[in-house]
Amino acid sequence: MPDVYNWQIGRTMVYPYPEAHPRQQFAAVFNINRCIGCQTCTGACKATWTFSRGQETMWWNNVETKPYGGYPQHWDVKALKLLEEAHQAAGVTPTWDRTQANEKAPYGVYNGLTLTEAAGPNEVVLGYLPTDAEWRSPNFYEDTSTAYKGGPFGLSPDGATLPEHQAWFFYLMRICNHCTYPACLAACPRKAIYKREEDGIVLIDQARCRGYRKCVEACPYKKAMYRGTTQVSEKCVGCYPRVEGADPLGDGVPMETRCMAVCPGKIRLNGLVEVAEDGSWVEAPQHPLYYLVRIAQVALPLYPQFGTEPNIYYIPPRWAPRPYLRQMFGPGVDQAIERYIAPSRELLAVLQLFRTTQKMIFRFEIKEGPLVREVEVNGKMWQMYDDTVIGFDAQGREAVRLSVVEPLHQRPPERPNSI
Amino acid sequence: MLNRNRLILLTMLLLTALALWLKAPVAGSQGLTITAARVEGALPVAAPDDPLWQQATAVEVPLSAQMVAKPMWPSPSIKSVTVRALHNGKELAMLLEWADDTRNDSSLRVDEFRDSVAVQFPLIEGQPFFCMGQQAGNVNIWHWKADWQAALLARQSLQDAYPNIHVDYYPFAEAQENIYLAAYTDVDYLTAEAVGNLLALPVPSTPVEDMVAGGFGTLTSQPAEAQNVQGYGVWQEGVWRVVFSRSLRSDQADDAALAPDKLHAVAFAAWDGANGERNGAKSTSQWVSLQLGAAAAAAPAEEVAAPVGAPAAAPERAVPPTNTALVLVFVGLLALAVVAGAIYLLTLEK
Repeated sequence: MPDVYNWQIGRTMVYPYPEAHPRQQFAAVFNINRCIGCQTCTGACKATWTFSRGQETMWWNNVETKPYGGYPQHWDVKALKLLEEAHQAAGVTPTWDRTQANEKAPYGVYNGLTLTEAAGPNEVVLGYLPTDAEWRSPNFYEDTSTAYKGGPFGLSPDGATLPEHQAWFFYLMRICNHCTYPACLAACPRKAIYKREEDGIVLIDQARCRGYRKCVEACPYKKAMYRGTTQVSEKCVGCYPRVEGADPLGDGVPMETRCMAVCPGKIRLNGLVEVAEDGSWVEAPQHPLYYLVRIAQVALPLYPQFGTEPNIYYIPPRWAPRPYLRQMFGPGVDQAIERYIAPSRELLAVLQLFRTTQKMIFRFEIKEGPLVREVEVNGKMWQMYDDTVIGFDAQGREAVRLSVVEPLHQRPPERPNSI
Repeated sequence: MLNRNRLILLTMLLLTALALWLKAPVAGSQGLTITAARVEGALPVAAPDDPLWQQATAVEVPLSAQMVAKPMWPSPSIKSVTVRALHNGKELAMLLEWADDTRNDSSLRVDEFRDSVAVQFPLIEGQPFFCMGQQAGNVNIWHWKADWQAALLARQSLQDAYPNIHVDYYPFAEAQENIYLAAYTDVDYLTAEAVGNLLALPVPSTPVEDMVAGGFGTLTSQPAEAQNVQGYGVWQEGVWRVVFSRSLRSDQADDAALAPDKLHAVAFAAWDGANGERNGAKSTSQWVSLQLGAAAAAAPAEEVAAPVGAPAAAPERAVPPTNTALVLVFVGLLALAVVAGAIYLLTLEK
């Protein structure tokens, strides 16, 4: 098998096909800190794509409560366990070498096995097929936190305090990661899965699929799903008609997917990043996704050690235990949280862009405003400026303009309740 | 390990190429020949119990693990399939029997797989690679599926898999009492069906899918209008018995031409759904020979009544391989054995 370069693990890795990269890559940043678990994204996806017969338990978008929740149940625990067993069998202790971090390896180098490297001699990818029952309860363990150790009934008498909550949970919102090296694509014995050249969206060819479920088995995120009534598998299509600019609302320019565009918590930012021939992201400091992932590095891939190079990036929740987060998002967690807690002037401006226009933003500009606040954060002085951020669509037209301080109107005291 | 697989594949392909180049006539590596007994009148195409089958010699074809292409399957359930064949000058019928403790005739749930069995014929002279053919060496595959058979007898719905299911309404489904079986007014919402995937059809026209392949991963259904293989299968007391039938002649390029004056190559594969078997996770045979017997008067009665598993004598019409070809094939097989031995030793070292 050829070796391909995976920048998220900072090294080449085994993959059944040689590198061939799309011109642009569908990507998104999800800010876990802001998610309220309302499932509006889940409902929007369901109402758009999976309301038909045979898709009853199919949720291309889901929001689960970590650490206990998962759809399908325990998908991540099971994948991690398989990988750990493979490491034990190979006598390998997986570690990240942060000292080797550089431009081409921003998180350092992962020294463990990826899922293609840990696969047994008879398989292409290390995976498992979830049982029928495991798909049935998409939000099992909703809002279930870990127990407070030491307090009566698992409750803390003092409430929770940062930097790390003693009893905690957080929402993990998930869609297909439209991976650079998809495990589903690698495992399909019929090449029925392909990654689009124009936007890197990963699709299952409904004519060639024969329902073998090797993709369901291989995808560590379990985002390829089987539809028994048509006997083939389906998956998140990245709302590709919207990404193509085919939605009548979009004025011919690429638009965010349905799940991104409906988010009331304003946690999602979706776009297309330009990809160089070698698979690296073409330097674009004024592109909001490039800025968040590659420059600010506040958004991190989900389980980079799986080796699929997922393209949905998460701003990790600042209150959850760091070892858990490092396992989930890699070694960039501490820096990401530190930067998110006290954001730079530019980062704070870019964070305003989330869920403010349905059009994908390809470039942003910042107009500087006055200093409005100065407070101490983690022992350091932090300044907030009322800057204005402007987002531009694929054609370079202004799509949205926002200030850091939201406009506020104060009613006169004699009319507090007027409508 | 990667090199090992490559090596096996390369050796197999080289051998096949050699055999093709020599136009070596079919003589299955196991030397088995299935003789289709010539009978008069209609064939028992939907009757595995028909006494007519007793006129055909039963041949037990050994099956082995698919260990060439990933995903490989070292421990398949089904070790052999017993084959009988009949023809009446117009049509061929084959009865395949194999032991399987469980009947798996649904694939509605994500974790259930169907039992199935397949017959494979080369579409070129000689023998392409025995497992799915190869480039420029297409094969015609007839694939019988237990769930298709079940659907023909009684159409399955989600209610069969989930008796307590309740769905109020499916948009774009026709208003029918049973919405789990209702047709769709806009079939686009049954995506695979909309693009003509035969697997997605609500009711298949036959339990056998007629397909063509030219190597691993290339298996392709023939168009719906070209589906011309019939089948009938029944499971009883731990045994599947499946009849395949097709007219000897077909004007379709992707259909094997079956002629009484020719020795045909044929191969078999079987899947045990309970063991999670599907695609390359299967048991396969090597090529064996299929001979359509001459008219009843010409066939000696004792040959027809030969015991189960006894290979029939090679008919004279078959062109015997040249000596050179035989030698080369022997050398090739020897090389294969050496490679296999080496691999075994390498595996031991690990």
